[in-house]
Amino acid sequence: MRILKAIVAHPTGRIGAAIIAIYLLLAVCGYFGFTPHDPLQQFRVDRLKPPSSSYLMGTDLFGRDTASRLMAGIGQSFIIAFASVGLATLLGTIIGLLAGWWGGLLDGVFMRSMDMLLAFPAILLALLIIAIVGPGTATSVVAIAAVYTPIFARVVRGPVLTLKRRDFVDAARTFGSSQGYILSRHMLLNLVAPLTVQVTLALAWALLTEAGLSFLGLGTQPPAPSLGLMMSEARNLMQQAPWLLAFPGLTIMLGILGFNLFGDALRDILDPRSQGRSS
Amino acid sequence: MNKKISRTALAGMAAALLASASLALPAQAANLRLAWAQDATGLDPHAQTAFSSLRLLELIYEPLVRHDSALDVVPAVAESWEFSDDGQTLTFKIDPNAKFSDGAQVTSEDVKASFERLLDEATGAAARSNFLSIASIDAPDPATVVFNLSQPDAPLLVAMASINAAVVPAKAVTEGTVATTALGSGPFVLDSWEPNSREQLSVNAHWAGGDIAYDGITISVLPDETAILASLRAGQTDFALINDPLVATLVPNEPNLQLNAVPGLAYNVLQLNPSRAPMDKLQVRQAISCAVDRQDVLDTALVGEGKVTGPLTMPAYASDPSTLFCYEQDIEKAKALMAEAGVDGFSVKVIAATGEPPVASAEAQVLQSQLAEIGIKLEIELMELNVYVDRWLAGDFDMAVAQNGGRADPYPMYNRYFTKAGNLVKVSNFTDDEIDSLLQQGRVETDIAKRKEIFAQFEARLTELAPWVWLSTSNTYTAQLKTLSGFEPSATGTLFSLTKVTLGQ
Amino acid sequence: MPYLARRLLTFPLILIGVSLLVFFSIRMIPGDAITAMLGTESGLLTPVQRQALAEYFGIDQPVLVQYGRWLSGVMQGDLGLSVTHGRPVLTIILERFPLTLELALLSMVIALGIGVPAGVLAATQSERPSDVTVRIIAMLGQSTPGFVVGLVIIYVLSVYFGFVPTMGSFVPIWVDPLANLAQLIFPAITLGFAFAASVTRISRASMLDVLSDDYVRTARAKGVPKLSVVWHHALPNALIPVVTLSGVEFGYLLGGAVIVEQIFALPGLGRLTLEAIGQRDYALVQGCVLFIAFNFLIVNLLVDLAYAALDPRIRLGAR
Repeated sequence: MRILKAIVAHPTGRIGAAIIAIYLLLAVCGYFGFTPHDPLQQFRVDRLKPPSSSYLMGTDLFGRDTASRLMAGIGQSFIIAFASVGLATLLGTIIGLLAGWWGGLLDGVFMRSMDMLLAFPAILLALLIIAIVGPGTATSVVAIAAVYTPIFARVVRGPVLTLKRRDFVDAARTFGSSQGYILSRHMLLNLVAPLTVQVTLALAWALLTEAGLSFLGLGTQPPAPSLGLMMSEARNLMQQAPWLLAFPGLTIMLGILGFNLFGDALRDILDPRSQGRSS
Repeated sequence: MNKKISRTALAGMAAALLASASLALPAQAANLRLAWAQDATGLDPHAQTAFSSLRLLELIYEPLVRHDSALDVVPAVAESWEFSDDGQTLTFKIDPNAKFSDGAQVTSEDVKASFERLLDEATGAAARSNFLSIASIDAPDPATVVFNLSQPDAPLLVAMASINAAVVPAKAVTEGTVATTALGSGPFVLDSWEPNSREQLSVNAHWAGGDIAYDGITISVLPDETAILASLRAGQTDFALINDPLVATLVPNEPNLQLNAVPGLAYNVLQLNPSRAPMDKLQVRQAISCAVDRQDVLDTALVGEGKVTGPLTMPAYASDPSTLFCYEQDIEKAKALMAEAGVDGFSVKVIAATGEPPVASAEAQVLQSQLAEIGIKLEIELMELNVYVDRWLAGDFDMAVAQNGGRADPYPMYNRYFTKAGNLVKVSNFTDDEIDSLLQQGRVETDIAKRKEIFAQFEARLTELAPWVWLSTSNTYTAQLKTLSGFEPSATGTLFSLTKVTLGQ
Repeated sequence: MPYLARRLLTFPLILIGVSLLVFFSIRMIPGDAITAMLGTESGLLTPVQRQALAEYFGIDQPVLVQYGRWLSGVMQGDLGLSVTHGRPVLTIILERFPLTLELALLSMVIALGIGVPAGVLAATQSERPSDVTVRIIAMLGQSTPGFVVGLVIIYVLSVYFGFVPTMGSFVPIWVDPLANLAQLIFPAITLGFAFAASVTRISRASMLDVLSDDYVRTARAKGVPKLSVVWHHALPNALIPVVTLSGVEFGYLLGGAVIVEQIFALPGLGRLTLEAIGQRDYALVQGCVLFIAFNFLIVNLLVDLAYAALDPRIRLGAR
């Protein structure tokens, strides 16, 4: 609550929060079917119609309503972004915690594996995973998570290394607290701030990555709408139907902008010393 | 900064860059600048089957005969040919002017060595299956070659009009250099090849086909067709192959560009798998055929570029589509057929390859929406081309959206899928005694009128049994600068008539 | 320097891990070099023909045998032969690398050339209109997918200026510097756009940070002019995080920019790898990924060393 208030007070954080809130609302409406038209219904007599009162943002090659598809598409892109970042956070935190806490061989093995994933070109890593498993929502989630897990592992391991030498951890140990208790209670609490910031920024990156994968035809499968897919379907129609490129493009940009603004504001609030330090 | 100024400044900069770029080229020979999105995958004319490989190799090698733009068989390395009366011997006379690009004469020994290589299983040539009727080859004198056949084979000549039956030097066969060094008797010589980047061809001075009005061809591989269009528009490419109808329809909007569109022989098809329930029921397959509005698929997914077609796409044999079973969408009939089959809606998965053809995903989406009207729920599985090919060859699909290659003759086009001994029966999962017998009759019949009759029956029966739902042909596109003249597009997609082009200016 | 030695010792380990990962995962994808070359026509092959082709492509042996063979080749500096190009993998990679390297360098020059001054300007004008403008543009830059920027650039160039950069083949700088620049400047702008945005943001943040440090305030109090304080006292320290960021980003760019190379038809490393995957040219995929990973590791090591050299407060190995 305190943080929410601070964000509302923050000049750009407010804008970011507003954008995310509006997107979430649109996504929920899209998910529950409160859209102007059915996003999958093909009004094939009304193909490639420019924006009008019946189709607010025009129609695509199949005569589907762009505005409705955008609403559903935001949901789809958000689900992939949230799920992949969630998965990456979970795996990254576990790996970073264990590596930092136990050190030694485990640390070596875990962190070298993470280095390995980092050294692997990101889009090729995602591409290989997708080619093996076959494209789809779940695969996109796994592929994007694989790219971001090492980053979270690093973000977590650093503070754990410092924290474990701190007095309060020693104190907890002398009082006989179990390792599990110390890890979950002391470590995780102290990791919340850096993680939250990283999560918000990673969401922005995940949205970009999803758009890129869809652009290469590897993301969400048609006819399900996703922002990246809509753009890749529209690129060869750029001249006949510019609205098909413009609206999804703007929607992606604004969405990512929202998360970037929100993340920056969070960083200012939670960690005022290191403004923009970590990238 | 003032908007106008900045724009002029940018234009100036672009012009300066452009000028420097063009000045940079040495004052060199006249080259035709060609662009395509997919590059050749190899140089072995017998083994390569990819569209772009064939297009490249057709400029370097020559078969005994080739198709002209009306799909008639005309001389290439051979100047004349003759079937014996029993149809079991085919004799060619070789053009005395035919020479390989190193100046060596093309002899009957080269032809014999080429076909023996093609038939040798170690070569790994998929096209071998079209030449299995060849029992032996004789070379009585350097200018005569005789093919002895194990049975009459009317479509053999058409099969020979493919670059997969190219004549290569006998020397290259014995030395094993066919796959690595391109040395043919065609109009051009391959000077260099950087896969997926560029090729440089120069005119073969020894070519028997006459003079070419320019000195060579530079091929650039531009993987994005939007970029190909941009490059044409900026006058940096003279001639280009276009696959995506969406891009092709933009070409005529450009004042300096011309689009050449020809209905191709390949067909777009929804392949059903009759070995899987409920598609094993004839009425269900027929219901699907009736529920599909082919014109609508064509208009939407291919933006109207192409023609509704039955199984046969070559003009000499194709039937009028309106005479075929359920070629007008008939939802009531479809529903009745479903009821007759006792099937009340079902879910199936349809596989399609990403970008191959570019319209595959769009076709699947329109079909999905059309079949939903009779309670069939399609789930689309889009996959990378190689993954798709693997599943397709294994027959591992409920339905498949495909674009299958065509031939100038119906027999080699369909024997692989629908004869009992066909290599791809496990893809079609469908055989029928009458279909099989019609194809066999068509193979041995040499009288054109009778063949037409046989294949008309074949086409009518095939669409009625509906193992597949044939949709439409696609156009084969090339785009060119208007200053270029003399190109004659062909349904086979060959670029051979680039030899007749003049660059203009 | 034990830290450096330790870092260098882990390199082979990481590279072997990467090679194992790519070697086995690429073989797990359905389809092989035969289906890639012949497509659906490969269904016409007889078993004997198929075997002959598998031998030709070197995929007839068990996978472990293939890996052992490949690894022993790599140890001797031989990355194997590409089946699609018919030439040594290393030769092909080294042909494609200059383009990727130059593109990465050019994007970095653009990013630093725009990002640092913009960031410094924004920091010194903190919360004034020019700061807000810079920040908004930088935010948008970070939020725009690269393919959108690239497509728009090509469209505008070809429609309004009748010009497109040379596509398909690479004009090396030593052959023709001007044509080389004409070819690479627009892809570099496409890549540099987002890159410049991050540089701007980080320069601004770090400059603000440094400007509030004691020594800077002291210098100001002593009457040193503001501009001189900014450029001479504050900037060198403020640049430390910029160096790190651009180093890491540069490391990524050396891996090739798949989408931009695709849009501008540039024969760089990213497209080479992508196409090798599509053609199931296993040796080429393995070689490319290994080469990219190696570069990435080296660049990151250099960044860490530079970071330590620039900032005496950082002790190597503490990170």
